Amino acid sequence: MIAPVANGVLATDAANRCAPGLPESFCHQHEVTGCVGGNGLFCFDWAADNFDRYVGPFFRHLEIVAISVVAGFAIALALAVLSHRHRALVPPVLGATGVLYTIPSVAFFFLLLPITGFGLATAVIPLSAYTLQIIYRNTLVGLANVPPDAKDAGLGMGMSENQLMWRVELPLAAPEVIAGLRIATVSTVAIATLAFLAGAGGLGQPLYEQLGFKTNIIIVGVLTIAMALFLDLIVVLAQRFITPWRRARPG
Amino acid sequence: MSGDATNGAAEAAQALSVAFRKATKVYPGADRPAVNELEVEVPAGEICVFVGPSGCGKTTAMRMVNRMVEITEGDILVGDRSVRDRSPSDLRREIGYVIQQTGLFPHRMIGDNIATVPRLLGWDHDRVASRVRELMKLISLDADLADRYPSQLSGGQQQRVGVARALAADPGVMLMDEPFGAVDPINRERLQNEFLRLQAEVRKTILFVTHDIDEAIKMGDRVAILREGGILAQYATPAELLMAPADDFVEDFVGADRALKRLALLRVSDIDLWEAPLAYVGQPTAEVRTKLERAEVPHALLVDSERRPLGWLSESDLQNEMVPARPDISPEPVLDRDDVMRDALSDLLQAETMYAPVVDAQRRIDGILSVEIISEFLGSTEALAEEHLAVERPTAE
Amino acid sequence: MILLANVFDSFVGAFDFILHSREAVTGGAQVGGPAYIWPFARTQLEVSAVALGGALAVALPIGLVLGHLGKGEYFAVGFGNAGRAVPEIAVVFLFAALAGIGLVNVAVALGILGLPPILTNTFVAMRQVDRTAVDAAEGVGMRPWEVILRVELPLAAPTIMAGIRTAAINIFATATIASFVGLSTLGDLITGRNVYGDDGVVAGAIVIALLAAAIEVALAGVQWLVTPRGVKLQRATRSA
Repeated sequence: MIAPVANGVLATDAANRCAPGLPESFCHQHEVTGCVGGNGLFCFDWAADNFDRYVGPFFRHLEIVAISVVAGFAIALALAVLSHRHRALVPPVLGATGVLYTIPSVAFFFLLLPITGFGLATAVIPLSAYTLQIIYRNTLVGLANVPPDAKDAGLGMGMSENQLMWRVELPLAAPEVIAGLRIATVSTVAIATLAFLAGAGGLGQPLYEQLGFKTNIIIVGVLTIAMALFLDLIVVLAQRFITPWRRARPG
Repeated sequence: MSGDATNGAAEAAQALSVAFRKATKVYPGADRPAVNELEVEVPAGEICVFVGPSGCGKTTAMRMVNRMVEITEGDILVGDRSVRDRSPSDLRREIGYVIQQTGLFPHRMIGDNIATVPRLLGWDHDRVASRVRELMKLISLDADLADRYPSQLSGGQQQRVGVARALAADPGVMLMDEPFGAVDPINRERLQNEFLRLQAEVRKTILFVTHDIDEAIKMGDRVAILREGGILAQYATPAELLMAPADDFVEDFVGADRALKRLALLRVSDIDLWEAPLAYVGQPTAEVRTKLERAEVPHALLVDSERRPLGWLSESDLQNEMVPARPDISPEPVLDRDDVMRDALSDLLQAETMYAPVVDAQRRIDGILSVEIISEFLGSTEALAEEHLAVERPTAE
Repeated sequence: MILLANVFDSFVGAFDFILHSREAVTGGAQVGGPAYIWPFARTQLEVSAVALGGALAVALPIGLVLGHLGKGEYFAVGFGNAGRAVPEIAVVFLFAALAGIGLVNVAVALGILGLPPILTNTFVAMRQVDRTAVDAAEGVGMRPWEVILRVELPLAAPTIMAGIRTAAINIFATATIASFVGLSTLGDLITGRNVYGDDGVVAGAIVIALLAAAIEVALAGVQWLVTPRGVKLQRATRSA
């Protein structure tokens, strides 16, 4: 079992004693004085000195999120396009994606352990699975909201079913699809902090390595939230770029 | 509306005839056919209107031509080929399709909307671009609207784009399902007139569906009245329909005011108008007064340098030495010389005025129409002769 | 084929761990079996329940009031969106580092995680209640709290329950890692490979997944019970 974190009352001894609860090795690595030794809320000096230890995990985290979201998006989109034509698929797919979503991430990682071992795959598979439900649902709703007269006109002018889907229906469904993508992306960034349990690294790793150290927790927290906001912004900008007609105001 | 006169002849050659040969549609599980052994021949270059009460299958019949609805029995020929000859997508790319709600793609600019079928057919970029420009001129839309989105256009403008889009690949046949139905009555009249002018130039074969018998009479070279159950009640020219309805149903549907409806067979340009006493800005009022003495209307019409009406001049306007720039009385209602007589009379009555200026396609003054002229004409022998001619006349222009 | 056989073996071993007691990898103590596993599960369920209760007590009233008044939409919906971006474990660890370990502290941290879905769903559910029904209720002379309780709440109940389900699953899932901060939850099994062996790890994962599914089903049942009969009929006729 992991060593328990220091309880509320900490030794504020700034001299040379390691605050109880922090691993000995940790104290030996760093200056055991002042802020760090006393496990103050946020030690700026330490943060400045040690920032580069977060860079690797940050980009690893980004990698995990990117792969998971892209894979999940592709699968969910394909399923939704199929389900739009063959409505019978909807209940089973909705059910399956819902069930997957219910499995807690930690459990999911470790259920996959016998099959994929420790590593990127074990993290990416559950994370993509979580994105399926929201993207699938949103895409279905988006497709359902396409104005029927645009579809009638498209077919009437000679578009094939495929041409109609890719040139008319999907572009018009884009706003809803992207709304789902936003939610999926932001959630994945948060859940990926657990990816280290699957042996995939990510920002959860430095968090786990220095469990009780407040500065560490805050840095990881801030970096994660920052990444979530940044990716959210990118998706929003992508939407504005892809759907210029929604901004057009009646002349 | 402008357009290339040279194209008119070339495009007329492409118009195809449409023939319904005992075309039938029965929906699975229905006890009666929606369209019942329809037999209609539409010559190339003519407008055929399908009209009837709701449930009569008129829209279904139209949609059978481009196989949006599949034929159960019988056949439909476009040109001389059965519509079953090729795949639905291929067929539809050769047939123009205009629906009531326009169905413009909201996510594409106007220019892209119009270019839809040409692009599907694989036309190269330049050819598409020039065609789009040509069409926008044809439907009287400003060229820079091509970069706007449908939501930025008015209802009337959207309808025009719908028509342009259907014309883009120069189809031999056009299908139009209540295309002006979603527009307010004033704009609808305008669109109808513009469309008839357009048709005079492009001469397409058109199947036009409407529930409005007045629209059918105004627009159609031939009219097919359908009754419930998709059965053809009568197929004839508008004049024949009015003067010799085939049975009680047709008579009822055409309406009790058949006599008044005859006014729809004539256009303002068909009769002699009064000459308008014109006045220009800055002209000495004395000259205007002299003109007025000989005129049939009590007021002078102020026009601009292009002879476009600005308004009527009142007594107080003429008090000064020179004609003022702003007239006292509005020129409304301003009538179009291509208006059908019925609409013109209706506009006069609505505005509670006895006379109104008539302008041509460029809005230049043509003459004055008055209620007096109309009633005189209707009673004269000329009118009866015109009507008989109308029976023979397959086209309205 | 060999891979499949291995996988099969692992799961068989895991189920064995769940069902039977065995000797620990490190030797000596007896581990495994229902009696052994249950205390871990119970702790996790307890802390989750406390957390959920707390979250409900705070978020539900706020959501109901704001939703009834129609105010604070930006906050209510924004709170939900922001909540999704927060990494759960950071919150739990920070809380533990600041306030120390113990069931209550962890429950508070978990409760915070449950606030966004409940608040947002409750707000949105209240806003989506048929305005004419509320109008009629006010017109008959019901007082605000009566309107909320007798009209809006029952009609909003299904969507509110959906939010509670989301919160409950989130809380329960995150409670797994409370083992890192000293609470003996099922996370202990998962992270205790040295003691429990591979079988124990997978067993822990299986138990967590099954319990999560059970909670989901149970709450879905509650949602069904709580949906007024009229609303159920409305839905049935609409989709028919």
